[in-house]
Amino acid sequence: MKWSAAGGIVLSLSRFAGAQTPDFLERETLPGRGVPHPAVGRVDGVAKVTGAKLYASDFRAVDLPGWPAQTHHALLLRTPDASHVYEGLALDGLGADAKPVVIVTAEDVAKIGLRVPSFYTGDLFCPVGTTPLYLGQPVALLIFDRFDAYDRARTFLRDNPHLKFGAETGPLARPNYGAFRFTRVAGATPDAPDLYSPIQEGWISPGFVESSGRPVWQVLPDAKGADYVKGATYGTAIRDELAKPAAGTLVLDRSFATQSIDPMFLEPEAGLGFYEPGVKKLDLVLGVQSPFEAAEAIAYMLGEAMPDFKPASIDGKFCYVGGGFGGRDHTPFPLYLALAALFFPGRPVRLAHDRYQQFQGGIKRHAFKMRSQIAVDRASGTIAAFAADHVLDGGGLMNYSVSVAVVAGTGAIGMYSVPKVDVTTVAEHTRGVTAGSMRGYGTVQCLTALETLVDEVCTTLPLDPIEFRRRNALKVGGRTLTGNPYSVSVRAPEILDKLDGHPIWRNRMAEKAKARAGVLVGTGVACAAKDYGTGADCSLGTVEVDAEGRISIHSDAVEMGNGIGTALANRVAGHIGGIADQVTVAQVDVFDALGLVKSGDPYSITQAEQDKAAANPRWVPEISSATSASIGAHVGTQAASEAARVVFRFGLWPAALAIWGIPAADPRVNQWDQAFWQGETLIFSGLPPLALKAIAAKAHQQGGVTGAMTHAFSRWAWSEATFALPGGDWSADIDALAVRRGSGEFQVLDRKAVAFPPTDYNRIGTSFASMCGTTVRVEIERATGKLTIAKAYSVVECGQALVPEIVLGQAQGGFAMGVGQALLEDLPPFEEGPGNGQWNLGRYVVARASDLPLHDLEIEILPPLSPREPPKGMAEVVMIPVIPALLNAIFDATGHRFQSLPVTPQMIKGVIG
Amino acid sequence: MTALSLTINGRAIGPIEVRDDLSMNDFLREVLGMTGTKFGCGAAQCLSCAVIVDEDGASSTRPTCIAPAVDFNGLTIRTVEGHAAGGALTPLQVSFIEHFAFQCGYCTPGFLNEGQVFLERLARDPIPRAELERTITEALDGHLCRCSGYVKYHEAVRAVVLADAGRYLT
Repeated sequence: MKWSAAGGIVLSLSRFAGAQTPDFLERETLPGRGVPHPAVGRVDGVAKVTGAKLYASDFRAVDLPGWPAQTHHALLLRTPDASHVYEGLALDGLGADAKPVVIVTAEDVAKIGLRVPSFYTGDLFCPVGTTPLYLGQPVALLIFDRFDAYDRARTFLRDNPHLKFGAETGPLARPNYGAFRFTRVAGATPDAPDLYSPIQEGWISPGFVESSGRPVWQVLPDAKGADYVKGATYGTAIRDELAKPAAGTLVLDRSFATQSIDPMFLEPEAGLGFYEPGVKKLDLVLGVQSPFEAAEAIAYMLGEAMPDFKPASIDGKFCYVGGGFGGRDHTPFPLYLALAALFFPGRPVRLAHDRYQQFQGGIKRHAFKMRSQIAVDRASGTIAAFAADHVLDGGGLMNYSVSVAVVAGTGAIGMYSVPKVDVTTVAEHTRGVTAGSMRGYGTVQCLTALETLVDEVCTTLPLDPIEFRRRNALKVGGRTLTGNPYSVSVRAPEILDKLDGHPIWRNRMAEKAKARAGVLVGTGVACAAKDYGTGADCSLGTVEVDAEGRISIHSDAVEMGNGIGTALANRVAGHIGGIADQVTVAQVDVFDALGLVKSGDPYSITQAEQDKAAANPRWVPEISSATSASIGAHVGTQAASEAARVVFRFGLWPAALAIWGIPAADPRVNQWDQAFWQGETLIFSGLPPLALKAIAAKAHQQGGVTGAMTHAFSRWAWSEATFALPGGDWSADIDALAVRRGSGEFQVLDRKAVAFPPTDYNRIGTSFASMCGTTVRVEIERATGKLTIAKAYSVVECGQALVPEIVLGQAQGGFAMGVGQALLEDLPPFEEGPGNGQWNLGRYVVARASDLPLHDLEIEILPPLSPREPPKGMAEVVMIPVIPALLNAIFDATGHRFQSLPVTPQMIKGVIG
Repeated sequence: MTALSLTINGRAIGPIEVRDDLSMNDFLREVLGMTGTKFGCGAAQCLSCAVIVDEDGASSTRPTCIAPAVDFNGLTIRTVEGHAAGGALTPLQVSFIEHFAFQCGYCTPGFLNEGQVFLERLARDPIPRAELERTITEALDGHLCRCSGYVKYHEAVRAVVLADAGRYLT
């Protein structure tokens, strides 16, 4: 795909050919053509067990066609101090055999006219004479001619101070990144309109901040903006009710703190860059979750640079990623890789973090401080009101802080229906390492606070925790905190029934009673609803069938371990019978035929602007978006799935009719949706079964549609468009379509009609959510506080599981990550934390197999409500209830409620004496 | 500088002059271009960098990220690139794929090497069936996987053992 970005730089993105599965034969049996069980194996399985070059960190210049053979190496130096004036580099200690040949500093980038993309606002390098904005802020990029010099330097610099600092200034103060108030007051009955809700009134922010930078949430006499005054008045009334509860109302008021953790994807960030000054072409090899954004950010950075530093074109080649969990989504790393290449023109440069550098500079999970208040009617056991105040440590750059704050704020009541809710949230700038996207994304923090609070409500009332949840669970059609219902299935009752019936829960009293001497036994339960989607999700997909019946699929989604390639193959197979012979992902250079254009920001565009832009049949609100595991099935497979439906309806189905000899006037001609596939055989009642291979050959012979290319966009609902095709108009959840007939070229079709989701859907927090419940039994040694998870059970609903084995694996991995956040992982803030450059595994502890109940972990995936229920995102929700379930189990065992994470054996021992 | 010679996946390598402080991981990845062996932490904590060392008729794994390359002088080692002799996957490689053992796959070379060493140990010294799960956990526990939750890796190794129980179990 090629397009012009800011400053007239031509961008192109492609999947790095060297990273593709090598030949057709290996793909032929994986994921499963000819194999009885089609989901056995992954499309990338052979490559990953044979050590094939797949990841950005695997490639060197010699692997890139047309590049010089020698790789040069760059080292990014970051500050461990953000309280003193930075006075420059002190590299005198580097030996002659460890000297860089080029040093890039703030002074150098200032000279060449770089711009910093707004998402990364802040100095790319800390200028001499200023206090660093945050711990881990880059101060210089060192480029070495030879690997040995680089290797010596990185080892020396890790162990020896090499930056000069002067006067103490204290950390720099900056405005908060964003502050919002989400308030909802329901009408008198479930069907009545809300008295106040964010979706009716818009999102509101306070107009004032205290001297500390914290927002002033109260309604002041001269408050700015009537909209804030209106919402805050409702919010204040809720707070007043919580402060002076009516008789018969239980009110609990608790604080909870969650820690910062590292995504700890196993492959540290790495990339390769090469700038050819003669043709002014910048080539990059990268592994990120957001290829499109990375290329655009680099183009913006260089868009007004001096001629020697402004490429005419940028070619991004994107690889598999060695784990992501959100931490490779909108990371600033690609900006520095581009600079390394530009400041060493004509020679390939590799920039690669080691683990210390990854801890020091990689995106982190936000630490939260939360106050939660809940009012429960004692007689009915229903929640009357809820209020919360969230404070997020956003670290040094804004990144996704505002978004995470919003997701936590709007998700703060979890799976419950609450008639009165008031949540404030503020994402603060601090001198900590930048926090951004990570699996759980605000929800893991707020629901840990909520689900432990709910457990305390249950023990206080008292009421059985599952019965309490039944009485309060959101029902189908019920309104979320923002005032809109979910537009997907809501299956809380089934999840609660499953938990209630599970032996871990049913036998909890008996197991506690028979605890061994010196061992405390406890059981906990918790639930979660987790949104998925971003409100501006895109999907690009192509499906082609050749005359032999062989299927190829191309998608823009990035393979980050979530098995997106295999999911694509299985979803497409549902429409056209065969498991694909070729699946390529992160493939954004094959959709040129659609000729897509975009303008404006999908989140802030007005309805009038969208309506005007939509008149252009090539316009879409956004072209490509970042990949996350939680939307892999729902978003990543949408375009290919719709393309497969077009191929079937206008290619394979007419071919089948021709083979059957059904005349045009026969009513069965229009009954294409009643045919179905059994393996690679098409079945239609009363007619002979047909093999895909024969149908495909006929489709090619008669010039039918044998390939389709689509684009889809979702703003909490998919765009819908109608296209004219021979055989009838076609309406689908896509907004762009090109088709290929026979073995011809793709031809784009103009939309006859299009309906993009209304722009006021941007007020929706989410309309997509999945639910999960977990129950765990723990055993705690009295003498040491050591905790063992004896048994665990999680039940999750995710619509149609495209590859059940991968869903199961995601759930098992989510469980492990939940255990890590609950019991093991911790990054202290500021100078003692990862920004000091001294953190690595060993000091940072993540869950290993021996920390988990490997043989006593049961995961149940609820079947879809119907065969037509689409897939739902599930990769995040599965880790969330694990944490509060563990804390609730610890309470059951010890009688103590911990209000911060992680809970260590020392902390447990401290409360059990 | 030391002239380093060793055997990797049955092929004689060297002598190659290397710095005495060059890590084995960098020797494989930067000097030989064998990037199947991964770099994860540089502190021998995640073991994504582990290779198989064959010595005295037995095999074991060894991390390469903190070990100087010269420590491998004269040794015979196997890496992930060497398991599928002639292109035919080993039973363990097949089992990893069939069980969806990995997700991102970055830790897979380390798990594959450790699992292979484990199988070879059991072939020499079979264990009772009742000890199998515990023994697998002990054998693989040094290896870190952030994606999978470990269950499927363990199931994949166990499946290979149970499919040839007469060889691996007493």
